[in-house]
Amino acid sequence: MTMSNDPQPVALLSGVDKSYRLDAVEVPVLKRIELLVRPGHFTVLLGPSGSGKTTLLNLLGCIDRPDCGSITVAGCDIGSLNDDELSDFRAKNIGFIFQNFNLLPVLSAYENIEYPLLLADASAKVRGDRVPKLLEAVGLSDRAKNLPGQLSGGQRQRVAIARALVRKPKLVIADEPTANLDSRTGQAILSLMRKMQRRYKISFIFSSHDRSVIGAADDTVHLQDGVIQRIRRRQADAPFEDTSPS
Amino acid sequence: MIDLSIAVRNLLRNRRRSFATFIALAVGTSSVLLFGGFSANIEASLQTAYVRAGGHLQIQHRDFFLFGSGNPTAYGIQDDLKIIQAIRDDDSLRADITVVTPTLQFSGIAGNYDAGVSRTVIGIGVVAADQSRMRAWNGYQLPQTDPPFVLDGAASDAAIIGTGVARVLQLCESLQVSSCPKRTVQAAADGAAIPADIAALAGAERDAAGPRGASNRPKIELLATNSGGTPNVVSAQVLKAEVQGFKELDEVFVMLQMPQAQRLVYGRMQPQATSVHVQLVHSDRIDQVKKNMATVLERVAPEQSLVVRDFGELNPFYVQTIAMFGTLFGFIFVLIGVIVLFTVSNTMNTAVVERTVEIGTIRAIGLRRSGVERLFVLEGMMLGVAGAVSGALFALLVAAVINQLGLTWLPPGSGGPLPLVLLVWNDKFMLLGTPLGLSLIATLSAWWPAHRASRLGIVDALRHV
Repeated sequence: MTMSNDPQPVALLSGVDKSYRLDAVEVPVLKRIELLVRPGHFTVLLGPSGSGKTTLLNLLGCIDRPDCGSITVAGCDIGSLNDDELSDFRAKNIGFIFQNFNLLPVLSAYENIEYPLLLADASAKVRGDRVPKLLEAVGLSDRAKNLPGQLSGGQRQRVAIARALVRKPKLVIADEPTANLDSRTGQAILSLMRKMQRRYKISFIFSSHDRSVIGAADDTVHLQDGVIQRIRRRQADAPFEDTSPS
Repeated sequence: MIDLSIAVRNLLRNRRRSFATFIALAVGTSSVLLFGGFSANIEASLQTAYVRAGGHLQIQHRDFFLFGSGNPTAYGIQDDLKIIQAIRDDDSLRADITVVTPTLQFSGIAGNYDAGVSRTVIGIGVVAADQSRMRAWNGYQLPQTDPPFVLDGAASDAAIIGTGVARVLQLCESLQVSSCPKRTVQAAADGAAIPADIAALAGAERDAAGPRGASNRPKIELLATNSGGTPNVVSAQVLKAEVQGFKELDEVFVMLQMPQAQRLVYGRMQPQATSVHVQLVHSDRIDQVKKNMATVLERVAPEQSLVVRDFGELNPFYVQTIAMFGTLFGFIFVLIGVIVLFTVSNTMNTAVVERTVEIGTIRAIGLRRSGVERLFVLEGMMLGVAGAVSGALFALLVAAVINQLGLTWLPPGSGGPLPLVLLVWNDKFMLLGTPLGLSLIATLSAWWPAHRASRLGIVDALRHV
């Protein structure tokens, strides 16, 4: 397992296996995963389609459970939580950015960002303070009242980024957030995520099969056939350190 | 609050589907209510007719109802006027009672001396002024008024007969009874000819009554066995032939002034009554008044086996009719309920399938399973409430329009057409209960799809295409 100098990893996976059943066949997706996600870092999960990136993100996002092994996120062993506790845990600690944006189509951009705060029963003052700031931060102040259907792909993804950040989570999970965008918009979204990650000092982990994103990452995790092939970590103002598992 | 807002917006999102479900609910609710209003009208009309004719309660000898039809006078009430006065004077009854009046039922033979025909009849003697007041009762405010009671203020020997009696006694022409077919074969097979001894008795009574032609009214002779077992005859001038609804009753019905009936049945003996009719201000006081009246009877006439029967006991047809309509109402409600159940359930199931990815998203964001369930149940409930309330309002509107049109219909057992009134507004329990019940069914219908939605795996839901 890769160790780090950081005192408290934002996520720690140990001996994690995950397989899916297709008809009567058990298909292993992740095998013996050992991974540490550093706090306040921008981590990229790289690998071809079918390598297990999304499954690994699902486990990190606490929306799926491993077949074996343990997962600790934000200091909490998620295996010990029941479904309601897990929901509350996700609401408080994890933000999601999806490939297809997954905004609620009946809510405006403002309301989509506000929704996680409403789930947390945040006061009107808190909501009124945070949502406009985030809208401004993602450059959509003038689109606050627009429904998702009235926004472009890039704008929708920016709303999704703001929604993921609104509760100040410890970890933001982004599953191929640029896959449905043209390269220019994708780059802009990537820059925005990086900018927001730095501004709010939140750990981001996102998956991509595009190797050009490596430059934006602090850490890169290479997955192949459900196995972590290599982990490269960039030390502060230093080149990548290769910490691939043996 | 956000749940409510999301539910409304989701319903508006697929307007056509929501509208179809809404219409199904509204039409279902209004159908149930309009039928309920019609049923309520049947109940009110029937009750009004029975209460006008026989009051809410009747004091009778204990056995009169079951055994009195063969020989009514054997079950007479002694000192009926004393009992009536005691009821009128009783403090616990005074405020509830509008009319207390004696009646005398008898069976006998009615004959048309001139035509030489007769038939068996069931007669009733009434106090005309009291009956006239009873006919004014309108506890349900129906646009239904009885024609003036012709015996009221009429001569002491005046009578009303059923049109069937008029037909058999060949009085249709003189009584101006319309639609009164004449027999095609002159036959005595129905026993219409008067026996010689009875004819002689009738002739004697007729002669005693005065010369024929003193009045333009046709006259009949009524023969009955008096309480002492000997035959007695009175003559009566027929004022009118009235349709009695049921053919069986129409062919035997004769109504006389009370003194005339008592003279026929009791002759020179102490007259009695077979029933005391009691009409109340409000039907909903029947049980209490019945109880209080039993106490009065116990005090005033403890030696007589008297009971108080309500109009429901005395008219099984009324109870059966109300029960039938109650069953029909229940059946229709269940039918509509099942339609609502499947319609809303289908709508919500489709919504769950369409919004699977959204369900996965909001679950990932942190909404608990119960929250997802709440969202969909809320949608079903809102559809249910909106449809049911609109249906109720529509039913009230339709009822108001129909009630204004002045339509009439001829219910079974009625002597004439009755106003077609839909009493939707009057039955508050039905008016509130039906929309509430159907809203509840709509909410429950949404529960299963909602529960299913909440049990979706997040990963599977997010992957859904």
